[in-house]
Amino acid sequence: MSENIGRIARSSGRRTQMSDAQRKRRKTVQIITGAALIAVIIVMAFVANQTNPKGAYIVVIGTLLGYALQRSRFCFTAALRDPFLTGGTNLTKAMIITFALYSFLLMAINITKFGISLDSVDFSKAAGYIRPVGFHTALGAFLFGMGAVIAGGCASGTFMRMGEGFLQQWVVVIFFIIGSMIGGVAAPIVQFKSAPVVFLPQLFGGWALAAFVQFSLLLILYIAADIWGRKKTGGR
Amino acid sequence: MAEKTLDCLGEACPVPLVKAQKELEKMQKGDVLIVNIDHSCAMKNIPDWAREAGHNVEIDEVGEGEWDIVIEKC
Repeated sequence: MSENIGRIARSSGRRTQMSDAQRKRRKTVQIITGAALIAVIIVMAFVANQTNPKGAYIVVIGTLLGYALQRSRFCFTAALRDPFLTGGTNLTKAMIITFALYSFLLMAINITKFGISLDSVDFSKAAGYIRPVGFHTALGAFLFGMGAVIAGGCASGTFMRMGEGFLQQWVVVIFFIIGSMIGGVAAPIVQFKSAPVVFLPQLFGGWALAAFVQFSLLLILYIAADIWGRKKTGGR
Repeated sequence: MAEKTLDCLGEACPVPLVKAQKELEKMQKGDVLIVNIDHSCAMKNIPDWAREAGHNVEIDEVGEGEWDIVIEKC
């Protein structure tokens, strides 16, 4: 990371005070701590497996997802914000690909579960969130967006940065848990049951047409993001 | 050539980027802006933006989880 330091002339000098030996020692401490934490995760997976048959899978998949998230700096907030703030759309495109993959897997799971006929689809048992859609969806999204900006990260980003040692997120997570608890209790009471449930295969009268519309829209969004990114950053 | 240091330690994700963008706008060609950050997200989005805008960028790792981003306006 610091291979090209010094090309730009600075009058104030570098802030770095650490010697190479200090860096090396810290690195050793980090590796030992990391190995210890991996051991703790493995123990946790065994413990979780006793209370929940899927517990071990959840612990392992969660750990791997967190690793991917940290290394890739994948961020949902940035995916939607950067096109306007910096003009970069790489994360936006990555998010659209994730949506396409997610849609495809949900479709596969739900068809396997209920068959190709739409009559037997049970919304409460279907994979994914098939819920009433209305103005409250937009209101909730707005509140979530404001909260994510003030807190400095959405749900996954908060967890990831807690691990990185950004202390602000440790404060955030306390209120995140309180908010989730209030939400969990309040959701069944205040949910807008009168709002229509939108399930695309039902809306378009079949899986095939719904899939066509869904993937076409995602493709159009991808191309639009690509063009936007090229225009804003001059093709770089 | 002027040099300015922007202290963004403790600032969460988009704040350091917005501050750097505003500060750099006021600067002359050849001036150097140093942004102190400790939020890993800013470590990616500030250099990405600055490089795309055509400036010279260096990332200096000051310590664990703390960086200086040095931007030379071009």
